[in-house]
Amino acid sequence: MTGITIAGGTGPAGRGGTGRATKAPPLRPQNRQLAILLVLLLVAIPLPLILPSAQGAVAVRILIFLLMAVGWNIMSGFGGMFSFGHAAYFGLGAYTSAYLLVEHGVSPWIGMLAGMAVAAGVAVVIGYFAFRYKLQGAYFALATFAFAEMLRLIVTSTEFTNKAVGFSVPLIQGSSLWKIQFAADSPAYFWIALALAGLAGAASILFLHSRSGRYVTAIRDDELAAASLGTPVMRHKLMTVALSAAITAVAGAFYTQYYLFVNPDLAFGSSVSIQAIATVVIGGIGTVWGPVVGAIIVGSLSDVTATLLRTPPDFLNFLQGRSGLDVALYAILLILIVRLLPKGIVGTAMARWRR
Amino acid sequence: MSNIGNQKGAALAPDAEAPGAASPRGKAPHPLRAALGGGGNAAILKRVAIIGGALVIAIAVALLKSGSGLVVWQSVVTGLLMGGLYGLIAMGLTLIFGVLDIVNFAHGALLAVAMFIAFGVVQGTGLHPYLTLLVAVPALFLIGGVVHRGLLSGTGGGSLENQLLITLGLSLLLENGLLMFFGAEPKTVTLPGDFQFGLFGAVVTGARLYAFVGALLLGALLFWLLRRTRFGTAIRAVAANGPGAELVGINVRRIHTLTFAIGTACAGAAAVLAAPLITVTPTLGEQFNITAFVVVVLGGMGNVGGALVGGLLIGLVEQLTTIYMDGQSSLLGVFVVFVVVLFLRPQGLFGRRA
Amino acid sequence: MSARKLVAGLGACAVLLAGCGGSAPSGAAGAAAGRDHGPVKIGALHPVSGANAVDGQQMRRGAQLAVEAINAAGGIKSLGGRKVELAEGDTQGKAEVGQSEAQRLISEGAVGLVGTYQSAVSTNVAVVAERNRVPFVMDVTASDAIFAHGYRYAFRVQPGSEAISAAAAAYLKEVSEKAGKPVRKVAFLHEQTDFGSGAAEAFSKAAAKLGIQMGPNISYDAVTTSDLTAQITQVKASGANVLAVAGYYRDSLLAAKAINAVKPNLDAVWGVSNGAYDQPKFVTDAGALGERYFSTNYHYDAKNDQTTKLRADYQRRFGAPMRTGAVLAYDAVQVIAQAVDRAGGTDAEKVREAISASQVTPLAVGRGPIRFAANGDNRNALPVLMQIQGGQVKQVYPAEKAESQPNYSVTWRP
Repeated sequence: MTGITIAGGTGPAGRGGTGRATKAPPLRPQNRQLAILLVLLLVAIPLPLILPSAQGAVAVRILIFLLMAVGWNIMSGFGGMFSFGHAAYFGLGAYTSAYLLVEHGVSPWIGMLAGMAVAAGVAVVIGYFAFRYKLQGAYFALATFAFAEMLRLIVTSTEFTNKAVGFSVPLIQGSSLWKIQFAADSPAYFWIALALAGLAGAASILFLHSRSGRYVTAIRDDELAAASLGTPVMRHKLMTVALSAAITAVAGAFYTQYYLFVNPDLAFGSSVSIQAIATVVIGGIGTVWGPVVGAIIVGSLSDVTATLLRTPPDFLNFLQGRSGLDVALYAILLILIVRLLPKGIVGTAMARWRR
Repeated sequence: MSNIGNQKGAALAPDAEAPGAASPRGKAPHPLRAALGGGGNAAILKRVAIIGGALVIAIAVALLKSGSGLVVWQSVVTGLLMGGLYGLIAMGLTLIFGVLDIVNFAHGALLAVAMFIAFGVVQGTGLHPYLTLLVAVPALFLIGGVVHRGLLSGTGGGSLENQLLITLGLSLLLENGLLMFFGAEPKTVTLPGDFQFGLFGAVVTGARLYAFVGALLLGALLFWLLRRTRFGTAIRAVAANGPGAELVGINVRRIHTLTFAIGTACAGAAAVLAAPLITVTPTLGEQFNITAFVVVVLGGMGNVGGALVGGLLIGLVEQLTTIYMDGQSSLLGVFVVFVVVLFLRPQGLFGRRA
Repeated sequence: MSARKLVAGLGACAVLLAGCGGSAPSGAAGAAAGRDHGPVKIGALHPVSGANAVDGQQMRRGAQLAVEAINAAGGIKSLGGRKVELAEGDTQGKAEVGQSEAQRLISEGAVGLVGTYQSAVSTNVAVVAERNRVPFVMDVTASDAIFAHGYRYAFRVQPGSEAISAAAAAYLKEVSEKAGKPVRKVAFLHEQTDFGSGAAEAFSKAAAKLGIQMGPNISYDAVTTSDLTAQITQVKASGANVLAVAGYYRDSLLAAKAINAVKPNLDAVWGVSNGAYDQPKFVTDAGALGERYFSTNYHYDAKNDQTTKLRADYQRRFGAPMRTGAVLAYDAVQVIAQAVDRAGGTDAEKVREAISASQVTPLAVGRGPIRFAANGDNRNALPVLMQIQGGQVKQVYPAEKAESQPNYSVTWRP
């Protein structure tokens, strides 16, 4: 797990806070990153007014991917604990808010908070056992995978989660911010998702530069050394895992409100975990901006290939009506990026820039 | 002692002594104990006794729950036969993990590729399904070699998450490639002259029995290869200590590629034997991949004999789960066993504590 | 550094715009504007790629044939012969993609949607349709849950899961009594998700009303199972004389193999919404194993000359037998087109009203013309009993839809 270096300008702070003496830095890295985040958010605000409504749906999907990716990146990128089971937290967020809303009429905002709490709690329990028994690397990944799958199977056969049917969010008349429900192509969805993604991004930046964040990156880079210096390893790891799970749960809760329907496979399926991983790895694992770039690419990929196949250029004509091309393209992209840019797009770009 | 791997990742200390590989060639332990992965005799016997006892209790409880001896007996027979198949599939995987330390998520997809090769050959030439071994095994050996050289060796394939993603990407690519070329329609491979017989009331079909016997043969073959040949010694040397093996003149990269190729060739053999039992679809690997990983962890990573025994255990666990928990997926029981083993004995039921 | 990041950020936004813009062949000209001139657009959403691509392509072609038939007959008459055009969408079998594709088709001016083959995708599309106030006529969608939400714009042509299960129980009682081997006890083997468990539950409820004893009720995980011998042994041990099976293709084939191995003392094997036992492919794959298996399901009407003609046409053009799903897609497009004709315009609300008062003669089996109940379900949808006889899938019950007589027996018992 030591192969990851923090790109994205976090290096100085990450190395025990010594702070390399740069030539009159205008801002601390943390503030600089927050400023960039703010600019990105401001630039993105008018997007739904420009985009046609079908593309608006793609933009929202990208933001949901972004939320998942930011969550996964905190635990696996910053923390170096490779999770192959983030579907568990996405699903818990989605199901908690859906259950509270459908069965008890609780506002999805409260459901979202509840989902974050449930996901963080479960993550801490799973994390505690995994760290207690010192699972690492592939074993840790397989254990998280097993827990996500167990949750999926349990939800699929439990009465109060509606078994395999899942939950459909009841439609309301008109729109309501309290119930997070608007007209189908309303830009409000985009703006709420953007605000959530912005908050998640800010949380991720603040965490990285916080005491916990610095400890956890130090633990990632050398656990023995960190432990021998008296770092409370378990506590910081558990905090990281909880934050990561909570952010991923937000993605799940928002997913439910946007698509108005969840079932066990959509929420807990292993493809959810894979999407979270692939998004970050393509963008750049352990970087602040990697999830953003990854989400844009992965979130729009299936629509780009679908468009390509709908009206194929002549040389691609033979592919029309063939199954599986979009996923195959996605797979090739994934393999190429991991092979050629092992640090992801952002990670590699940062490394080049610095040289 | 076929435990060729060290327990990287599972062990507390990253540079733990590799068990097994250090034992001199001349003093191979008793084959049965060896098949179970070696270790101290008394400890192994005790462990076997514990597992055996647990199984007997589990079967007795299943008898009480179902109330029909025939049903439980059939479940045990089916579980063991399925378990042989799981062990067969997991052997290649555990070899790759033990020697190369690669978590190969493409194993299931490679299995699917081999099944489509078998299906294509049977369809095209009318050959007996088992004769497609002659095509599928070399083909998978080549594919394995190419995959390792092209995708996994070198710097890009280094870290765990990169290996995981490359193999995951490869499995998506293979599955969807098969989907593009063969279509989504399920295919079947029929075994001419398949028969069945009763075993104290339980039904056993020929194809399943062949697969079971095939698993035993393949396990024996791998055991022989690893323990009784120079090449096998080189593999174990590389698994135990890569730089050391390099120093005594072993070409480590070549051994890695060959081991990966042998591992995928095992998948090829497993696929041919399993093809008549299941419906061939591009995504069939998924249903075996998870189980195979569980079996590998259960048997101890890199432990070929352990994979076989682990397979049999998982086969039984699956069948007993369906008796215990009505309306619940058999996979849940498998995962519960998996997580317990992962926490309590990450080196596998038959591995040594490092 | 800061400026550099800014540039990178702006670059990312440009990618976002380009990525999205690149997949936007048509502008957001506005749904209403798209509807008023040019051909009348009907959206067809099917899984044309992915694991269900074969069925998805079948259904898309079925919809295309319907559009061609409508245009060949002079288009929409009340609109001066305006042509109909199929706006095609690919759900890839994924709920999220189905959602965004539905949104796209609606924004391109579709007056109605047909689709989608999978219940989870249909659930998502139904929400989109409801919120955009565009009628959605489902061709194949088994789940009944969609019709419990009081949606106004959701309609369905095929009989739902519950209707099929109830009919299966009723047919079982009638056919077994006529054969002189009245059903005593039914074992139910089903896959464990919504589809199989729902069928088992509805069947048990209907069976209880008919005085049929149920048990055991055995479920399995369709994704991972690769042997059902133990389950069939349980059936044998239970003494049931009929085995009902609700599963997908792969697992139902496994069940057939296990039944052949165990040979339980049954009078009949009874498919309920079964994904295999009425498929010509099952006959090929299972060979003699599948002979005399029954299946209650929705089906194209083999006794209808028009259906026969359509299927022959399909076979000639696409070189494959036309499946029931494609026939239902054909029916669903007809429902929308005829509603537009009667509404005399493309106003969504009027089209919805016209659909809810539909009187469309189906090419799939039905009691009569397609007519929708208040919840949008087809009141005249009729499940039919089929049996594999001499390597052919034949409609055998009810009598007015029967191609041949039911043979209530199994091959391995006298």
